[in-house]
Amino acid sequence: MSTQRFGWRRAGAIAIAGVALTTLVACSGGGSAPADQGSATEGNITWWGWTPDKTNADKLIAAFNEEYPDITVEFVSKPIDTYDSVIGPAITSTDGPDVFNVAPGSANGGVDTFQAGAVDLRPAVEEALGSDWESKLATSGVDGLTVDDKVVGLSAGAVYSGSVWINQDIFDANGLTAPTNLDEWIAVCDALQAAGQGCFVQGAGQWAFDMDTFEAIMENVEPGAYVKASKGEMDYSDPAFVTGMEIWKKLFDEGIMQEGAIGLQQYPDANNAFMSGKYAMVMMGTWYTQYAVKDIMIASMEAAGVSNPVPFTMIPIQFPDVADTGNVGNMFGDADYGLAVSAKSEQQAAATTFALWLATAEGGQQAVANTLNNIPSLKGVQPQWDNIDLVNADAQLDALKELTDVAGASTQPRFASVSADLNSAFRDALIGVASGDVQITDALENLQAVVDAQ
Amino acid sequence: MTANIVRTPRRPGKRIGLGAGMPWILPALILVFGMIYFSIGFTGYVSTLDWNGFILSPSENVGGDNYVAMFQDPIFWTALWHTAVFFVVTFTIQTAIGFSFAALLHSKIHLAPLYKVIIFIPTVLAPATMAPVFRSIFDADGQFNWLLDHVGLGALARPWLAEGATAMPVVMAVTVWQWTGLTFILFYAAMSQIDPQILEAARVDGASNFRMLRSIIWPLCSGTTLALATLGVIGALKTFDVPYLITKAGPNHATEFLGTYIYQTMVQEKHFGYAAAISVALLVIAIGGGVLMRVRLHKKEV
Amino acid sequence: MFELRSRWSRVGAQVLATIIVLPFLAALIAMVQGSFAGQGWGNYLKVFNTGVVPTYFLNSAIVAASTIAIVYVITMFAAFGFAKLRIRGKEVWFWLILAALAMPEAVLLTPLFVTASTFDIYNELIAVILPIAALQVPFTILLARGFFEAIPTELMDAGRVDGAGTFRVFWYIVLPLTRPIAGAIVVLTLLNAWNAYLLPMLMLNDPDKQVVTLLPSFFMSQYTNDQTGVLAAAVITAVPVIVAYLLLQRSFERGLSAGALK
Repeated sequence: MSTQRFGWRRAGAIAIAGVALTTLVACSGGGSAPADQGSATEGNITWWGWTPDKTNADKLIAAFNEEYPDITVEFVSKPIDTYDSVIGPAITSTDGPDVFNVAPGSANGGVDTFQAGAVDLRPAVEEALGSDWESKLATSGVDGLTVDDKVVGLSAGAVYSGSVWINQDIFDANGLTAPTNLDEWIAVCDALQAAGQGCFVQGAGQWAFDMDTFEAIMENVEPGAYVKASKGEMDYSDPAFVTGMEIWKKLFDEGIMQEGAIGLQQYPDANNAFMSGKYAMVMMGTWYTQYAVKDIMIASMEAAGVSNPVPFTMIPIQFPDVADTGNVGNMFGDADYGLAVSAKSEQQAAATTFALWLATAEGGQQAVANTLNNIPSLKGVQPQWDNIDLVNADAQLDALKELTDVAGASTQPRFASVSADLNSAFRDALIGVASGDVQITDALENLQAVVDAQ
Repeated sequence: MTANIVRTPRRPGKRIGLGAGMPWILPALILVFGMIYFSIGFTGYVSTLDWNGFILSPSENVGGDNYVAMFQDPIFWTALWHTAVFFVVTFTIQTAIGFSFAALLHSKIHLAPLYKVIIFIPTVLAPATMAPVFRSIFDADGQFNWLLDHVGLGALARPWLAEGATAMPVVMAVTVWQWTGLTFILFYAAMSQIDPQILEAARVDGASNFRMLRSIIWPLCSGTTLALATLGVIGALKTFDVPYLITKAGPNHATEFLGTYIYQTMVQEKHFGYAAAISVALLVIAIGGGVLMRVRLHKKEV
Repeated sequence: MFELRSRWSRVGAQVLATIIVLPFLAALIAMVQGSFAGQGWGNYLKVFNTGVVPTYFLNSAIVAASTIAIVYVITMFAAFGFAKLRIRGKEVWFWLILAALAMPEAVLLTPLFVTASTFDIYNELIAVILPIAALQVPFTILLARGFFEAIPTELMDAGRVDGAGTFRVFWYIVLPLTRPIAGAIVVLTLLNAWNAYLLPMLMLNDPDKQVVTLLPSFFMSQYTNDQTGVLAAAVITAVPVIVAYLLLQRSFERGLSAGALK
């Protein structure tokens, strides 16, 4: 009967559609650039990114338009959790963005994943900065966003981790000073907890920040070990890592990490807990500098649910000398985000202009520096501190400048050398050891197994 | 009984049976096949690849390797086990609450519309916005422990989300909170269809409320129960939002589900082929489970 | 449903219902509290100050209404077909439709995007409406089929004897009896269409086309997460659906006990 034939006909149609799509997948790679790439000084381009937030993006675009008034840039925010899901399909079509964020490694927006969809920016940046362009930009930014000699993205700025931020007002109120080693840290936390005040807070369920804490510990135990092991140049069974893991576990057992830490996320839980004054210490990196600014801190405290917020003095300190080795002040970081130009964009010239301006031009980099979110990749650019209204300039300015200097001088990457699989393995290892579900030796073995398989 | 004619002419009186159903289900078939089956086929193909999911990136055909790896993967089996337990517990609780509540609200209760709205609102709320609220409620310092303290059960207070054994019950509790409203709506609608004369007759015969519930109302709602069970199985298999947003499938995979595992392997680890293999497994289990459900309950009915 | 003759059982029922409802209420209260923390009503003002609330609501309403229309029509036709009419290989088709439910949304994104791009409907609301409808239809058909099956065939036979064709029987006799399930289907679809997040995130980039679920992303970025704004946005987003539910449930629950077998 015709119902049967109907079924076969339809099945045939589906099969054809399926074959069409699979051919697309199988014969992938090497999308040719559209013939007309548009003008370099005129056009309407779209920019997709998980960062910066709308306020800062508007500031950057406004600064851009002062130099290039004929290029309109539309920033579309794609939250970090869904970024990869949406950017993947989008940059395979001319309907997608012209400029999009990329990050080092295989993190979300990772260059390893998306490099096939981006234009090689090497010619453009060589033209703009000369053949010695690499020496003018921070190394971490350049290396992190280059895949096999292809400059996939240009770093807008970097973020560095390894610092701890404290609420100086709470410390003063309790007559305490910032801890410089593990014993002092335990003592400070005991004192604060006795006074009914929270000490240190971490959203240990968000393991990216656990990795930061662990890298900070390892930089203190043996500088450079963390990165070497992630590249396979050193074994995770090395005693240095055993020490590191033991210290990591101690943070939980000795009450430095708050109870139930692995059940919380850093954002928004831990962040809000610190901003509302519930806790006096939090481990955040250079991106936290923006909260030293009065208006931004007030907004952030309101967002944390504080009514009539009174901004407090927030100071960065170096990670305490937990292993008593004297190796302090080692920060680590890589490009927070870079801009890549889509190979399918029909306005590559204008898109490249924008990417170059933001990442390598004085105007763009100064604008980035002033957001205090990122440390600019163009060497020699400092935030214009005079124009910035800090909560407590006397107490904060020197500490912030020092932080920026120390960070800028650091050489160790943060996520660039960690593959996606290693990232997952760290999650199991760090949270497992913290909760006591995984033995330290097993955790380290698993990490090694992942690196070996790479 | 008339002969089996597929195409029916409109000749009144001669045939009592109704006509061909094909044109009626055609739009549904076209929509579903057009939108979804394409994707299913694509996923099936991808499950034989080693690919990071980005269309322009190269892919390598690895045949059945992904499936072999999957069967040897302890996390896959853990996730599957969690899914099964999760389904049984949440389905039972949701059905019990939804059914009882629907029955209660069909009787003369004060403030019925208010109650209906309260149980319904959670279904409307996006899990992404509620997740931090729940993390704060179940935190070591949170409202739930505060409540336990105040009713004298302080000994039970603990960091609910930081321990594997208690994280799963929290995920289940949040799911029940979120979806019981749906169960309620459907049971309520099903009960509306019950002819009150049947109930009247039973009452005259002296049946108690509880008896009526068990012997008359429950069987009459079996269609809805079956539909909810089918949806429940498939929903449990796809569960992603609550465990991912609240506990990020942790701690230590204590709240890992197939849905969260697929997300992790696909989006975080960029093993699209492997994720596709798990999706295919999910599909097979879903169909199997659904068929099982229908066969068992069909047998009961007949 | 229950006859609550004695005062005792009436109180008992009320208490039971209240006990059931309390845990649901508690979390809701926590959420509303959160939305008022800090700036109180200022949080709501903050949400409206983004300037996109009317546009987003309009788009969400269009998506919801279109999806509901498509799902309702297709479901009623198909459920009737499956329940009452003869179809070769009926169960096979039914299961094929049901199997489509099992696909996690994340897996669908890439193929759906390719489809949207090919047919040039990218960045149009229809690119979101059709997949959402397709994802709803299997379950609504499952639900509705049970309902249709419960409608006695004698009713339809009576219509046929009177000379009505299949369609007239469907339209005039069967359809009016399906009000409760129709109401449930509308509410269900409204829920899923209103709350659709991943698909609009992928397909809709033009700020004029975006929907309400993208509102919280104004308050979430890489290093900030304005919970008060997010919760206020969530409350604002939930209100229309709650109102719709209240209106719908009244009109669809009007008793249809009387006169079924008339």
